[in-house]
Amino acid sequence: MVGSPVLFIAVPLLAAFLIPLLGMVWKESIRILPGLVLLYMLVLAITLLEQVMHTGTIVEILAGWKPPWGINLVFSPFTGILATLMILMGFIIWIYSYRFKNVDFEEAKKYFILFMMLVTGSVGIVLTGDIFNQFVFIEITSISAYALTAFYKHRDSAEASFKYLMVGSLSSMFLLLAIILIYSQLGTLNMADIASKAHLMKPEFKILAVIFFIVGLGIEAEIFPLNGWVPDAYAQAPGPVGAAFAGIVVKAGVYALIRIIFTLFDVSGTHQFLIVIGLTTMIISEMAAIRQDRLKRMLAYSSLGQMGLVLVAFGIGTEEGIFAAMFLLINHAIGKSLLFLSGSYLVYNSADKYISETNGMGKFLPVTSFLFALGALAVVGMPPFSGFWGKFFMMSAAAHANMLLIIALILSVSLIELVYYFRVINRIYFYKKESHITPKKPTVNAVIAMATLGVIILIIGFYPDLISGYLHQASQALLDKGKYIQDVLSTGQLLTH
Amino acid sequence: MNFTLFDLKIVEYSFFITAILVIMIGLYGALVKKSLIKVVIGLSIFDSGINLLLISIGYITSGTAPIFSPALVKDMPLTLENIKKLSEGMVDPVPQALVLTAIVIGFGVTAVALSLVIRLYRHHQTLNIDEIKNLKW
Repeated sequence: MVGSPVLFIAVPLLAAFLIPLLGMVWKESIRILPGLVLLYMLVLAITLLEQVMHTGTIVEILAGWKPPWGINLVFSPFTGILATLMILMGFIIWIYSYRFKNVDFEEAKKYFILFMMLVTGSVGIVLTGDIFNQFVFIEITSISAYALTAFYKHRDSAEASFKYLMVGSLSSMFLLLAIILIYSQLGTLNMADIASKAHLMKPEFKILAVIFFIVGLGIEAEIFPLNGWVPDAYAQAPGPVGAAFAGIVVKAGVYALIRIIFTLFDVSGTHQFLIVIGLTTMIISEMAAIRQDRLKRMLAYSSLGQMGLVLVAFGIGTEEGIFAAMFLLINHAIGKSLLFLSGSYLVYNSADKYISETNGMGKFLPVTSFLFALGALAVVGMPPFSGFWGKFFMMSAAAHANMLLIIALILSVSLIELVYYFRVINRIYFYKKESHITPKKPTVNAVIAMATLGVIILIIGFYPDLISGYLHQASQALLDKGKYIQDVLSTGQLLTH
Repeated sequence: MNFTLFDLKIVEYSFFITAILVIMIGLYGALVKKSLIKVVIGLSIFDSGINLLLISIGYITSGTAPIFSPALVKDMPLTLENIKKLSEGMVDPVPQALVLTAIVIGFGVTAVALSLVIRLYRHHQTLNIDEIKNLKW
């Protein structure tokens, strides 16, 4: 026994609050501590994941209160994979931002505290088995995300952050309303207990609760009408934070939405709703992405489009569809983070971050440009890279479910993606550099972080079987609602006897 | 004293009605007002409305605190039936615990919002939401 799932929340939270204290003693420790903690969590997550794949879901009871009453953490193949992915992304982003604000100690301290809170909150959203606890973690994540968005004082970041805060806090109120509704109807907050009692709820209340949940969680999951804050927040936040949003926070939001729709309630039509909302998100965002003239806004819109694709894949609802969705999630986390990390070096010294300012960077920043191109190819879904398998599995899932229109839409949207990514790559490699911008050489740790992501893209691209076994188990775990309920509630019975 | 029952019914529903009214006022403030400070106040009022709604779910008219004190239990053996009987007049403690958490979260969000308003004012020299539109798309 190496450790238990509660350490995924306790250790980073403790570390976040230890950072200012340790910073008083030794200034370098604020940079080292988050990395040590994330590395420990990564090792723990991989060991636990390996264990879970063989012996089944780990359910941890907190503070000795049995599941229907107390808070429990569920480390199933599905949640385990997502948590591991988030921690891995957190670790790589830590490597990238190790020298972040190298001269400014106070700023760096704030950044690392908030970053650890962001990781804690996101991992908590995925692991918890209690809806109110999930609400608390969503708030931890969003409050640190608001603060990280407003990190740079000289940009328009406060405006972006305020926009995010307005939408985010209003929607979290709706989340609370949904929780109140469920509690008043069923008298329980435990997800497994709600799932087993959901049929007792009056249908009108059930539908109302689902609507409140979708509005409340749609902000973090970035579904279409609720994602107006995304391009601003991604573009105004520091580079590594944009990558953290795309690699960590969105994943948590999508997980929460999927858990509500797949496990908690079986309202008919939610799968079709996922498909429709996913397609709308995808098409509108890709159309918006193609007419952006600033790099980070383009990447943000493209990220929205990718998340729409993931929602469509979940909406197909078959085991194959969920498998494809998981594959796309992983590909999006890695590819889009790589794009944000390398993209922020391409436009490092320009004030407005225009795409035209990346002209000719291929000659001055060969490694960064190469990795950017690699990320772009992976996200678009070119054959030897990881994105290809995601889109391939997704299309075969759609074909088996007889949803041919979806295939047509995905292919045409991929074409749009291809156009705007290749426009940037074309500028990087084949245009003459504009004289007034001095390119910024990436630091060594940034190159290591970006290269790690690039290598992961290539490995998954050439050997998709390395992860597909895990993903199959994960998608079965998500679909098998009865087993989830039994796993969680039976731990309670074991304790009583 | 003839009005007791009627009175109690009113009391029971008045919490819900007030909560929804407060939520509506908060929503109006957050969505319609032009001044950033008023928007934040609206958010805060919305928050209070939700908290009131949450607390009124666990409310029982003339209920007691959910504590099994020695004076209440006396010499009764604590079997399941006795516990059920004793807990009948008790208010539900779970919503109260939830509200405590929700209040703290609401406080945190309001604090972040106000600090952002200060930043916005320094950056734009105005609090009018219509004039802050550098990021309009």
